[in-house]
Amino acid sequence: MQNAKDTFYVMLQSRLAALNPARTIVVRGVVRPGTLVDENELPTAWVPVDAFRLQWAELRVNRAEPLPLVAMECSIQYATDGTPGNVGMDRGRLLAAMDAELASALGAEPHTVPKMNYAAAGAGVAPTAMGTNVFWADPVFGAATTVDERLERTTTVQVFAYQEAGEL
Amino acid sequence: MSTTTTGAGVVAAVAPVTRRVRAYFAPVNRSVGVPTMFDAAQLGRFDLHAPPAPWVDLGWVSGFTRKCGTKVDALRAGAPAITVGQVRTEVEATVSLEFETWGKLQVTLASGSQQTNLLTTAAGAAPNGSGGVATAPVPLLTGTGLASTATSLNVGTAAAAGFSIGSLVAVDVDYTGQLGYVGTGVSSAYVQSASAVGGDVNYVRRVTLNVGVVVAITAGVLELASALPAGTPAAGMQVSQLVGFCDREGASFFQEWSALFVMQGAQGDRVLYHYPRLQAMQGSAEAEDALAAPLERIRLAGAFRALPVKDANDGETVLCFRSYLPAVLRGV
Repeated sequence: MQNAKDTFYVMLQSRLAALNPARTIVVRGVVRPGTLVDENELPTAWVPVDAFRLQWAELRVNRAEPLPLVAMECSIQYATDGTPGNVGMDRGRLLAAMDAELASALGAEPHTVPKMNYAAAGAGVAPTAMGTNVFWADPVFGAATTVDERLERTTTVQVFAYQEAGEL
Repeated sequence: MSTTTTGAGVVAAVAPVTRRVRAYFAPVNRSVGVPTMFDAAQLGRFDLHAPPAPWVDLGWVSGFTRKCGTKVDALRAGAPAITVGQVRTEVEATVSLEFETWGKLQVTLASGSQQTNLLTTAAGAAPNGSGGVATAPVPLLTGTGLASTATSLNVGTAAAAGFSIGSLVAVDVDYTGQLGYVGTGVSSAYVQSASAVGGDVNYVRRVTLNVGVVVAITAGVLELASALPAGTPAAGMQVSQLVGFCDREGASFFQEWSALFVMQGAQGDRVLYHYPRLQAMQGSAEAEDALAAPLERIRLAGAFRALPVKDANDGETVLCFRSYLPAVLRGV
């Protein structure tokens, strides 16, 4: 399951970065594409804005097939305060831009990506391709909510993968 | 030194998971009754956005439903009767679907009968349900300037002034008394007698599927958004402008087409359904998809009955070919 989660995250991060290379975030002093997975970062009360934060929620495993089919709900949260130069009055436009980027990234073909094993990957070491694909359904965009001066939205997408033999 | 290939990397086969169905059209030569055959062994892995000629992309369809009407009865013998075998007493297959787009081809196929181009009418033309007497067609120039192609029509600067960006055009031959199937590229109507169509010189352009949209006009040449289905216009073809399309409930003509439906699996597998001959089995119909009251999206609903062909491999009479292309390194 971790391989599917990693694969989906890398796919989404790379597609979003290709759509808008300027959307970056500084994490622990390092500038990265503006997509991260909450559970992979240090616990903090700080909520990054103008970036996509992935959280893995519900999990279901169907063992009726020769390969167990894993269904995972990915919750994607994003928020914006607008820009200071516009006194935050552009926050609606910035949220709409993030909506469009996310819809485009998840709606682009193909709606599948080969599952990769990143366990041993690192500098100079490529991830290992596995035997099945990770695939996903259409995203469901939640209502935009306002918290003080911040505008935010949570979008969910069902991510599917087959659990391969020997895979944990 | 020998090379050994093992199946160690083979993954267990699973049921295909697909998002939607893509449909493709190819013409049936009605005059000789020959459909367009699709060979999944040669072309099954084609790019869904670039089908091999002469297949034309009809886009995504929804509600794709196949029904098998084949009846299998028991063959009994003895007293008391005991089933000793089985026999097929009837073979039938139908397909129903909803097109996601209202293109000329989709509207035509879903209409169940011939489909008429609403040609721009001449001044003072008497009102008629499928369009009144049309304006005079515009000839394609030959020997003057650029030759016309499937995407550019040289009508000359004077005639081009009568067109504008966005104009819809039908390109085909004049009606000069032809009988039987008419329409270049695709048989789009059947003429029983010249008197039935009133000897209308525009009749073939009135029913042709060879239509396009003008997106630019340069030095007397109409540039089209996409290639005409019938390709480069033949000598003698003319251009008529149209404003839209019309079909009728109760007309006598049966559209027939070769159909291909593709389900792309999430694991790289693919299921293809090839019906070499499909004829509409219902009149024009729509399916309403409620968006948010009072808005409704109207989809073209089509239902088709499969007609038989002979499989060249064994001479069997069949209605449909279902092909399955497994993903790489899957158990079979």
